Amino acid sequence: MGEEGNPRTPRRATRSSLCSTPNPKISTDKSKSCNQQPLTIHDLAYRDESSISLDDLISNLPGRRSQIIKLLRLLGPLDSPMLPFFVYGGASTGKTSTILQIFKHLKRPFVYCSCITCYSPRILFESVLNQLSLHRRDESNDYSSTNRCEKPSDFVNLLQGALRSVVDSLKGSMAKSSSKKSVGWARGKMVYLVFDNLELARGWDKSSNILPLLFKLYDILKMPEVGLIFLSNASPDTYDSDTGYVEPIPVHFPDYTEDELRQILMKDQGGPKLYSSFLDVVLRPFCRVTRRVDELLTAFSSLYQIYCEPLDDLGIVPNEDMKRKLFSHFQPHIGPSLNDTFKAGSRLSSEASAKKNKWKGVAKKNGVCESSDEIDFHMSACAKYLLICAFLASRNPATLDASLFDSTGGSSNRKRKRKSSEKSMEKKETAEQDLLLKGPGTFPLERLLAIFQCIVSVEECLPDEEAQEDGGLEGESWTNGLLSDVLLELSSLCNANFISKGGSCPLEGANRYRSMVSEDMALKVAKSLKFPLAKYLYRG
Amino acid sequence: MGVENPAEQAQVLLRTRLYNPNFIFTIFSDSPGSNYSKLKYIMSSSVTEACNNSVLLLGPRGCGKVPILELVIKDLLQEYPDMICVVKLNGLLHSDDNCALKEIARQLCMEHHLMFSKMASFDDNSQFVLSMLRECGLAHKTVIFVLDEFDLFTQGKQRLLYSLLDAMQSVTSQAVVIGVSCRLDADQLLEKRVRSRFSHRKLLFLPPSQEDLQKILQHALLLPTESELPSQYVATYNTKLLNTLSDDKFKDIITSLCECDSTLNHLLRFLFAAVCHMDTKPGFLSLENFKTALSSIQRQPKLEALKDCSILELYILVCLRRLEVKEQETTNFNSLMKEYKSVHDSFQTSDYYARNVCLRAFEHLLQRQLISLVDNRGHGQSVEFRPVRLLISSYELHQGLKSYRSCPAILHKLIDRGV
Repeated sequence: MGEEGNPRTPRRATRSSLCSTPNPKISTDKSKSCNQQPLTIHDLAYRDESSISLDDLISNLPGRRSQIIKLLRLLGPLDSPMLPFFVYGGASTGKTSTILQIFKHLKRPFVYCSCITCYSPRILFESVLNQLSLHRRDESNDYSSTNRCEKPSDFVNLLQGALRSVVDSLKGSMAKSSSKKSVGWARGKMVYLVFDNLELARGWDKSSNILPLLFKLYDILKMPEVGLIFLSNASPDTYDSDTGYVEPIPVHFPDYTEDELRQILMKDQGGPKLYSSFLDVVLRPFCRVTRRVDELLTAFSSLYQIYCEPLDDLGIVPNEDMKRKLFSHFQPHIGPSLNDTFKAGSRLSSEASAKKNKWKGVAKKNGVCESSDEIDFHMSACAKYLLICAFLASRNPATLDASLFDSTGGSSNRKRKRKSSEKSMEKKETAEQDLLLKGPGTFPLERLLAIFQCIVSVEECLPDEEAQEDGGLEGESWTNGLLSDVLLELSSLCNANFISKGGSCPLEGANRYRSMVSEDMALKVAKSLKFPLAKYLYRG
Repeated sequence: MGVENPAEQAQVLLRTRLYNPNFIFTIFSDSPGSNYSKLKYIMSSSVTEACNNSVLLLGPRGCGKVPILELVIKDLLQEYPDMICVVKLNGLLHSDDNCALKEIARQLCMEHHLMFSKMASFDDNSQFVLSMLRECGLAHKTVIFVLDEFDLFTQGKQRLLYSLLDAMQSVTSQAVVIGVSCRLDADQLLEKRVRSRFSHRKLLFLPPSQEDLQKILQHALLLPTESELPSQYVATYNTKLLNTLSDDKFKDIITSLCECDSTLNHLLRFLFAAVCHMDTKPGFLSLENFKTALSSIQRQPKLEALKDCSILELYILVCLRRLEVKEQETTNFNSLMKEYKSVHDSFQTSDYYARNVCLRAFEHLLQRQLISLVDNRGHGQSVEFRPVRLLISSYELHQGLKSYRSCPAILHKLIDRGV
């Protein structure tokens, strides 16, 4: 969520990486970790000799000027106590990097913990304590923490002790520093605790009161030398204000505007003029879809290559004429890429997102669902049949199974064809609506196996009717196999998330399954088997 | 590194004051009928007359229950040194009986310089606490138990409360149990066996009145005349501040602040923000500072989130709102897309994107918590089938669209037609 293009610092400088590389000398020979110098109290702050001035800070983080000034004011002059504050704003608005850069500017000691890496209360507690007690987990101590700390009460006791010793040693070094004037030393006697990605802690455990504890920590500790900073991409009103909630001072990071985005994207570009003319073309249409830096960057990196294709020299300064030429070359790519590059993030949803777009006719023209009829991975024939069976079981109502899969091999379903009267059209519409709302249905294992048996037995006798099919011999070898093989295939399909295994039905007690594949996918699989899927699919 | 600037020095002083509310509450200690004097009377009587006592301090969060209690304890410790021993527990940390008893034992050990064993069992600890109570009673030493977030101790079997209050029934012990809670019905949460052992003394803490507010403001913000700050600076600062405080516009600010939350903590947060915004150049608190502080304290997160949305996300929100107006019982991503398509079909908007793009925008909205999935059941289903609902009122959506820069006119039209 950082500002891209800060070559001097790691983008998200975790404290552990900071601690292990306090200066470049040590970072070069990482292999000899046992040779690392013991940590000192000054490693809690950034130790680079080069300091960032306020102007550098503001120019490094375009569009965050007012936020930086506000944060600096809340942090206050050296050694002034502060009330906790809560920084929030959408993903990729530079919250973390702003806070870290500010601490680099101020050179005050701080402890950084992200709830992404510290994914449970215990790990969070131990991470804070390890950093405060300058403990490094390595081979010599079996990668163990200083203290095992699970309960909030232990955490508060240990934290009080650790903070006291840190503050005392900071005070001690303050007294000395006046005589020695050391450059890389931490400034002030305040220690700041920064908790990042706090929104994740909401989902940790319903019964644990970790959030009220963190919010009330300043009240419980009662140490003016400790400052608390919370970072979250959810706004404060989305935190349930249960008992023990104390409102911190809110600081909002808004999403970048178009101009700010341009400034950010223009940083560290090889040919600034060329890139700027590229941004002229793409930035506006993309901003209507998303204003997140991370998404835009990935989208633009490939687009820029297409834009530059006709050019030999990238350092060129384009004139109006060339801009026009480039644009005419590039224009046809913009529309598809808008629809193409923002594929949904998770695998499940991206797979599911192609679902049923045939019925809706929405995504017909986009290039996402490739029209190629091949499935691009290997699957055994048995698994393919299972997949189809599961798809059918999810789509068709269970009551129709008997008529669809009777011994005559599904030929009877031609009888069902009736003239589409007004009423049946209406019915069809509501059924379609239902399908849109409910999604694929669930089915018990027995039904899946029954359909599987039917289909396989039909396939065996089909080759006689349709002479060109030679799958009969191949089919026979595995249809007579053990049931356990089929179950094995089923479980691997479940693992691959083609079929999801739901909770057990309260009445029957057995597990229920649901097919997660899209119709396109099922049709493709059926095609590769030369299986007439459409014949068996019940539509309204 | 000394602080040269008197304004900066003053800022540090003010921040220190506002950080620790105990200072602010000292003004309540003189008035006779206050909670301070009542509480002090109860506690000192139990110290001098060697009797057991229990009391509940109730009131909304941030009205000074704990600070006043701490003031009282501090005064008593000065008045009767070596006769009082304080054990502090917090419901957030020690709601588990086992853990609470361990903590009591630990604090008693610390107080009396005894060895504390981490390995001691629940039984050992409870034996230890009982014998300590007896010993303290014999030595005429009062043990004060402070149970912050008292309501959290009433979850579960209430073994801790029972054993504490039961121990106080004996003549030998000499203890005070003070529960602090923001739940006004905290005593109703007690089990019968615990309630019967509890003296039903309750002290109610309320948000400060208008007159008190004025006193608190002056008390918190005026700089002390006898300090190392230059006296001329202090004098000008104080006169300027008094002028600001008596300003009508300032009173409006305070009223609008108290309208949403009139507790002291809220006021202190506001003052802290104002002090943070104080310019060190002239070094005086101005009306402007208070205004910016008010706007930074009072936020409208939903509207801010709306401002952050992209145009496509706004489209999705408006479509969802339209579906809500149509009173469909459930909506999910698929029905949303149908609405989106029908909007596109009837108006031919330029913002028509593929399903994948919309799904991504939909997920952004989920992340921004402008919409939410209705239930957490049905984990097997993919996101597009699960029912969703708006987390933003139609009024807010209206406002948000109005204040959105470059919002397509079609969206205004769509939402107006819907409402």
